[in-house]
Amino acid sequence: MITAGVDIGSVGTKALILEDGKILSTEIMPTGSRPKITAQMVLAKALAKVKLKPDDVRHVVSTGYGRRVVDFGEKTITEISACAQGVKFLGAPKGTVRTIIDLGGQDIKVITLDDEGNTKDFVMNDKCAAGTGRFLEVIAHALEIELAKLGELALQAKQTITINATCTVFAESEVISLLAQDVKKQDIIAGIVDSIAERIAAMSNKIGMRPTVAFTGGGAQNIGLVKSLEKKLDTEMYIPELPQFINALGSALVAQRLQSLR
Amino acid sequence: MKTDFEKRYQRAPLHRPAEKVSARVRAASEDLAARLHKQPDRLVSLPYYEELFTTEKRKKELQILNRKVVGTYCYFAPEELIYASGDVPIRLCSGHSDTITTAEELLPRDICPLVKSSFGFPILGDGWIDACDVIALPTSCDAKTKLGEYLADYLPVWMINLPKIKNYDGLKEYWLKEIKLFLHKLEELNGKKVKAPELKNALQLLKRRAELYRAMYELRLAHPLLLSHQDLLMVVQSSFYDDLPRWINQTELLYNEMKKASATGKYAAKGKRLMITGAPIIWPNFKILNIITELGSTVVADDMCAGHQRLWDYAEPDEWTLEGMLEAVAARYIFPSVCPCFTTSYDRIDKILHLAREAKVDGVIYHDLRLCQIFDMEKDLVVKVLKENQIPVITLHTDYGQEDVEQLRTRIEAFLEMIL
Repeated sequence: MITAGVDIGSVGTKALILEDGKILSTEIMPTGSRPKITAQMVLAKALAKVKLKPDDVRHVVSTGYGRRVVDFGEKTITEISACAQGVKFLGAPKGTVRTIIDLGGQDIKVITLDDEGNTKDFVMNDKCAAGTGRFLEVIAHALEIELAKLGELALQAKQTITINATCTVFAESEVISLLAQDVKKQDIIAGIVDSIAERIAAMSNKIGMRPTVAFTGGGAQNIGLVKSLEKKLDTEMYIPELPQFINALGSALVAQRLQSLR
Repeated sequence: MKTDFEKRYQRAPLHRPAEKVSARVRAASEDLAARLHKQPDRLVSLPYYEELFTTEKRKKELQILNRKVVGTYCYFAPEELIYASGDVPIRLCSGHSDTITTAEELLPRDICPLVKSSFGFPILGDGWIDACDVIALPTSCDAKTKLGEYLADYLPVWMINLPKIKNYDGLKEYWLKEIKLFLHKLEELNGKKVKAPELKNALQLLKRRAELYRAMYELRLAHPLLLSHQDLLMVVQSSFYDDLPRWINQTELLYNEMKKASATGKYAAKGKRLMITGAPIIWPNFKILNIITELGSTVVADDMCAGHQRLWDYAEPDEWTLEGMLEAVAARYIFPSVCPCFTTSYDRIDKILHLAREAKVDGVIYHDLRLCQIFDMEKDLVVKVLKENQIPVITLHTDYGQEDVEQLRTRIEAFLEMIL
């Protein structure tokens, strides 16, 4: 049976096609200003990659901020549940995940799981973009650097700069001030990454983090952030393949269960 | 009229034209009323209460009534004494987001939305404050304490000096003195002394109100959807404004209708049973309640000062002498209060646990208004104790704006999925 999960996030929209527990195809696009249309396009593209037609898909479940705007989904779940489901399915080397850190476009989520892998508790940043994927985008723009290169550059820092501002707008001003003082971009990036890691570590400690910790979402692709966070949390993290598609995977898994209920 | 503010330094009161903002304020109330109107199987006694929010009838009545109107804030301005004096209390705590920008012309941005929202009205010359002769303002938090200085530019203000440490030795004597001072100010305002029979009448009337509320609460535990929590808060908050005997008559009708309707068995809770604790949810800022309804769950209990707590407590004197009644009034405002303005928070935690168990809730939502430090600072221990008692809890940090509705929906929905 083929199912699909579509994750309409604040920044990126992701689709994942699943056949009996095997990932067939994935696709991602910027969500843009028309999430409903983007979601349709992403799903269509993911299907086209493996030469499937919409009719071949038995069930679709949507998640993410745009989960309610799509018209093809039979069910919606929140990204918190989707993320927990996705990680539970993937499992982790040396046992099972008990904490998930998910860094998305506008949210940082820390989810704790019980011994069965179900959501036990979660905490999210409140109405503030500090430390989110959007924050990284703004900083990359101010530094005229590609978002994807931020992580590598952070690792090349020669000294550690402390970034004091936690607000996205103020942090951008602070970055511009540092550039005016001729501070190297690498050092600034390392400072930014450290400040995000610190924020996430505080959230993780507050909720009661237990190893193994999984790191998912677009933020997990930033190697500088991964290293900084591992240092602050004093634990190695499990980073799944395709970290951006975990929520879409979780949704596709829930879609499979829709079938078995019938 | 006497005010607590002897004006050694002057600030001219700010006035701004009301039309545009007032139209938005009215629209927000009308939208909410229309929304509540559409609830399925809604009781027919309820639209009465909507009118107190959507029409100016009561305000016009107050303006021609030959009685002094005392504007109040918080839970702590003693209604018993205001009624005993023959005056009318009107609670001015507002939930409107549309007046906040106006207030921010004078007040700092970084204070709680309730204070800013309420202060927009005197600047606009609109709302209930327009019908008031004097304001009684308890010093329950920093923002309220300083608000008096701003309000004094518009109306005479009486500060009520609220003690903050619940279990210190001198509290009883001190607070009784403060209560008597408040009574004295009322007597000066009205030019006559309050006599024991008048105070007794007021106490009995407010006890009747509490009994009626308690009966409704009991009935609602078994049949929560007799009144959605939005409707319950609307009924409670309409008592801030309505003529008290009239409100009691109407609410007796509502209670009788509830009793009859409960027999149909149609009003059981849907989805999860939730409790809300924390900062006040005041008309028309019902966004969290509306989201919970849309997600198919039911709020069955709260401990809020503009909700359950407001009508639950009453003064019960040992002696019906003037002194005995004043002592009861003093005690009634401090000891049962769960306001985080006091230290410690233990009474509040006890009450939350009690309500959560009594209402058999599946989870608790801790509502926290941005820049209300006291609710925010109490959050940590409340959450810890709830979790230790196996009661799931989620904290929501928000304000009066509508821009975070989708973020809040995700959090609440995930919480409901979690406690499945």
